[in-house]
Amino acid sequence: MGANIYKNKKPLFLFLVPAFAFMAIFLYYPFIQNILNSFKQIPELGAMDKGWNDPWYTNYVTMFQDENMRMALRNTLIMMVVTIIGQVGIAILLALLVDNIRVGAKFFRTVYFFPIVISATALGLMFNLIFLYDKGMVNQLLESLGRTELIDWKGENLALITMMLPVMWQYVGFYFVILITGLNNISGELYEAAAIDGATRLQRVRYISIPMLHNVMCTCVILGVTGALKVFDLPWTMFPKGIPLGETWLTGTYMYYQTFNTKNIDYSSAIAVLIVVLGIITAKVVNAIFKEKDY
Amino acid sequence: MKKRTLALLMAGAMTASVFTGCSKQATPDPTTAATTEAAKDSEAATTEAPKTEAPTEEAKKVALNVSTTFAGEDGNAGNYQDAIKAWQAETGNTVNDSSAVSDETVKARITSDFQMGSEPDVLFYFSGADANSFIEAGKVMSIDDIRKEYPDYASNMNDDLIAPSLVDNKKYAVPVNGFWEAMFVNTEVLEAAGVDMPGADYTWEQFLADCEKIKEAGYSPIAAALGNIPHYWWEFGIFNHGTPENHCTIPESVEDERGQAWVAGINDVKDLYERGYFPKNTLSATDDDTFLMFVEGKAAFLIDGSWKVGGIAGACQSDPNDAATLDADKLNNFSVTYVPGMNDRKATDLVGGLSMGYYITKKAWDDPDKREAAVNFVEYMTSDEVVPVFAQHTASALKAAPKVDESKFNSLQVKAMEMMSGVTSLTPAVQDIFNGECRTSTFDGMPQIVTGKVATEDAVKEGLEIYHAN
Repeated sequence: MGANIYKNKKPLFLFLVPAFAFMAIFLYYPFIQNILNSFKQIPELGAMDKGWNDPWYTNYVTMFQDENMRMALRNTLIMMVVTIIGQVGIAILLALLVDNIRVGAKFFRTVYFFPIVISATALGLMFNLIFLYDKGMVNQLLESLGRTELIDWKGENLALITMMLPVMWQYVGFYFVILITGLNNISGELYEAAAIDGATRLQRVRYISIPMLHNVMCTCVILGVTGALKVFDLPWTMFPKGIPLGETWLTGTYMYYQTFNTKNIDYSSAIAVLIVVLGIITAKVVNAIFKEKDY
Repeated sequence: MKKRTLALLMAGAMTASVFTGCSKQATPDPTTAATTEAAKDSEAATTEAPKTEAPTEEAKKVALNVSTTFAGEDGNAGNYQDAIKAWQAETGNTVNDSSAVSDETVKARITSDFQMGSEPDVLFYFSGADANSFIEAGKVMSIDDIRKEYPDYASNMNDDLIAPSLVDNKKYAVPVNGFWEAMFVNTEVLEAAGVDMPGADYTWEQFLADCEKIKEAGYSPIAAALGNIPHYWWEFGIFNHGTPENHCTIPESVEDERGQAWVAGINDVKDLYERGYFPKNTLSATDDDTFLMFVEGKAAFLIDGSWKVGGIAGACQSDPNDAATLDADKLNNFSVTYVPGMNDRKATDLVGGLSMGYYITKKAWDDPDKREAAVNFVEYMTSDEVVPVFAQHTASALKAAPKVDESKFNSLQVKAMEMMSGVTSLTPAVQDIFNGECRTSTFDGMPQIVTGKVATEDAVKEGLEIYHAN
């Protein structure tokens, strides 16, 4: 009798019901409704639809003709590359460095992770002040070094870099923590054996740490590229409405703009569907490139 | 067996907990409860209690759901809280307040609430195109319908000044305080550039000449973020090619007379940009950035609304929330004047009016317990005693507006009062009618227009086509 309780799996399903119900009501139902909305005419947020679009796929055709949408996709693609190189890449470097020091490892972990706990909106406001045209921190610094002309860091030529730098900076700590945890899981015996065989520190990193981190890195890259598709708060705080001249649109900010500013609800629903589809595709592509390995 | 029963009970409890939030039964709002207690304890409300018909002793005490835009940084947020406390103390009713700062999110929430049948009992909201959806759905009561049962409802208001609905020309919203849009001036910059303070006869040509002088003196003539908030220049640009009578007429097409007036007005803004009168970063700056330039004496002119009087005063305080910390000398450097005129529009013809007011919803009207309280609440908030507290230096629709005590005003408020005394007309903003997706091409598209990437005519045409298609 005592062992039967473990063979009977039915109670487990009962425990899964609440979470499933929660997901169904608050995630899957809205998502399916969103797909339907993308084919309908919705006059404003919260309003009932006025029937199907004619033709029903109008929004998807518009999307591929919309110059701002093209800009948003281009910038999001750049953001993905920045994420892989700037966020995951720097995080790997920092994790390997911190893993190889004996004193102060905990300190650096806290320091690098800290930006994550600060609200993105607060960070956006802070970086707004840093890159402010008039009396901004960077321009003041340059002024003190003798530069007379102010630089418009949020202007047409520099806007994309100014937007991506803070986003990159904010999430390095997130991937750093994941990677350092992965490094801690590598058995110390491997390093000891390598050291006995005469491997240098660099060789130990190259032939033990990095290969053993492969799966963790793969997870980080997937999180990064899918996150790049929906990044919103910090870019919107610094560059509302894609300023300047629509140069800083991202898929996330453009979807929000279409929803709350132009009130083109059905079109923004279509953009939301595209974001999900692109998220799935990019995750699959990253998985295919960085195939998970068994060690 | 016991374990199975326990498992079933736990799973049931967890499932039930998921749906707890869906319960329709009203639960007391802790903030409301606190407000109620405060109201009960409060003997001295800061707003003097006006004479309103208190409900009879037999009348049931009700909790009224009220939503307004008197919240956050709105200059009247504190006045509103004082007023509802005083009303609660007087009537014994309570207010479940869901006020929020006026923005697109709030507009979406209000629309959604009406769609879902969860609208408030009393709503302080826009009377323009934003109210069309719930007026079309018959979800609010017209003032005339309310007067059939309460003849004195809003009887202290001048009906001619109450804005009619764009849907059926009936009047629904009882106004409190109005607004105006005018040109704020940093007089310190004008002095440094050797430019005189503009007056009531200020023309566009004089304005261009002044801007040139200011620019040559090393200042930015105009504080505006064209990539973020081009609204005011858009409005007055168009107004300068029309009259107070036809300003709110939406063109049928870009080719007709009004359509061409719109193109000419927006081209004037383009001309200002090309002359370099806006800040160098006008396309990449936010409205906050350019406002900062203005208050810090780096830009001379700022077109904005009456609410900016409080904003500028706040910027002159060491603590923006404490008027006692005001640097009066700094505030003296600011003034407000008329927007330069052109063609048939005089500089003293301004944009403004009473664009918001209190609605009573049909839901509250049909509830025998709430009808009396809702009417009483609106009568209280729009009484001769409460309205002046809110209106201050702006307009109101009161028939017998009491004389304002200027001794309580700061220097900019006094200048605003003086400026208002010379206004020849207040015309509603056409952008309040032409709102939503249709204005994207000329509002958010302003940077593309001024830089020549999009032709003004094409942008106006696109907007008008969307407007007429909807």
